[in-house]
Amino acid sequence: MPILELTTLTKHFGGVHAVDELDLAVEEGEIFGLIGPNGSGKSTTVNLICGVVSVTAGRVAFEGRDITGSAPHRVLAAGVARTFQNIRLFGHLTVWQNLWVAQNSVEDRRSENFAKRWFFGSGATRDAVDQQLEFAGLAGKRNELAANLAFGEQRRLELARALATKPRLLLLDEPAAGMNLEEVHALDGRLRALQQAGMTIVLVEHVMELVMGVTDRIAVLNFGRKIAEGLPAAIQEDPAVQQAYLGGGVETAHA
Amino acid sequence: MVDFIQNCLDGIMLGSSYALLAIGFTLIFGVMRRLNLSYGPSIMVGAFVGTLVYLEFKANAVAIAAATVVGAVIVGIYVERLCFRAIRRGAAVASMVSSFVIWMQLEEIVTVVFPDRTYFFPPMVTADPIDLGPFFFKVENIVMFAVAAVMTVLLHWLLQYTRFGLALRAVSENPRAALFMGINVGAVMFLAFVIASAFGGVAAYLIVSADGQITPLFGLWATFKGLIAMMLGGMGSIPGAILGGLLLGVVEAQSIWYLGTEYRDLSAYFLLFLFLVFRPGGLMGQLAVERELAATRRV
Repeated sequence: MPILELTTLTKHFGGVHAVDELDLAVEEGEIFGLIGPNGSGKSTTVNLICGVVSVTAGRVAFEGRDITGSAPHRVLAAGVARTFQNIRLFGHLTVWQNLWVAQNSVEDRRSENFAKRWFFGSGATRDAVDQQLEFAGLAGKRNELAANLAFGEQRRLELARALATKPRLLLLDEPAAGMNLEEVHALDGRLRALQQAGMTIVLVEHVMELVMGVTDRIAVLNFGRKIAEGLPAAIQEDPAVQQAYLGGGVETAHA
Repeated sequence: MVDFIQNCLDGIMLGSSYALLAIGFTLIFGVMRRLNLSYGPSIMVGAFVGTLVYLEFKANAVAIAAATVVGAVIVGIYVERLCFRAIRRGAAVASMVSSFVIWMQLEEIVTVVFPDRTYFFPPMVTADPIDLGPFFFKVENIVMFAVAAVMTVLLHWLLQYTRFGLALRAVSENPRAALFMGINVGAVMFLAFVIASAFGGVAAYLIVSADGQITPLFGLWATFKGLIAMMLGGMGSIPGAILGGLLLGVVEAQSIWYLGTEYRDLSAYFLLFLFLVFRPGGLMGQLAVERELAATRRV
């Protein structure tokens, strides 16, 4: 059974068919790439899964459970976390606090202990936050305000904040946007490490070095429809895909 | 000079209660970006609950204070459910208008239940003023300042170090991102309302018991004082609310001494006028706005 399954998922904004009868199945433990030209419906798909925008028609199932139209915090509680195309950190909170507040929200949700639930969290939560900081390479910056971080560090913090909610499926909306090559390589390594640890990842991305290198399978969207799906090497050769990217090769379109 | 300093000290102690009112206002505004006009009237109802407890049971000061705070919180929750929870996704002005209507409702109810309009409110202490060199301090003013200081420190601790406080700050900064991080935004807003009402209830008890009497007009008065203090300090800023409250208290105390009691409120409005002309963002508001902009540019 696929961990995430979209069935004829459709979203109309007025007359615009942002996502049009999309069928998609993501298997547990894979890194699944979602690519396509600007405005092809990638971000809308992520937003539909997370419950930000309402679904016009179709179905979203996570681990076999129907989560179509669930509110964002319920989707998160079910085990799906996301990052944003435009970074949305809590700038006035420190790096450590950004993670703690996210970690808390799921970790102690059902805690019977009032003080734990509303005031101090648990010791395990605090330790987990420290581990996340270590993994993100931000341990040295734990007391900095998030607003004062460099751009690449903010990207890393956003990924860490999503991970702090202990998801089983991670939706990354253009995590490499604005990164330099070195940072992209570091991100590549992090994603592989997460996969090793059993995480399933849906990667929406324009940076082809990252997508072609790290993903197991790729689906290509154009005008809200899926025009190709398969292994990265096959996608690169696919004529329909090359046509979608302004008639050129996938790599040259974004070089 | 001695008079001037004495006025400043009196003003700071008086202003500490204004600061509590302004903190309540600014907490709600910061989290919801909405103005709760019936904040004053809801704590007025709390004070009348305190009056009722006094009239019925001849209760002591602690019980009356507790009744005032509990009453203010309950009415605060009532207002949140009616004007803020229900219209959370609607325009901010809709909440403000409905909170204005609830103001009228609360005032009317109190006027009907307490037809004599002005009621005696027992003082918290009956002790002689304390002399300290050339200055003297009323005991109730010292208590007012001490309680306000303790509550402010408590709030600071809450917002800096507890998960609820951090969640509250996360919501006031970016409600959408907070929702995606699993924070129960509705619950945080609700609790912000409860805390604001509790601060208002404490302020109401301190002020009314120092005055020795209560009328339904206290609601109007508290909304105005809280609003002015918040605007002097800068909307949405808690340090601003404290500074604005203290400044308002000092200016009022000076004008009572040098101009006469009848100029107390007029001088407050004149101060607000000066601020709106020369520093419309308030003492800390400009800073808050700049920080906000800087944060959104980078984040």
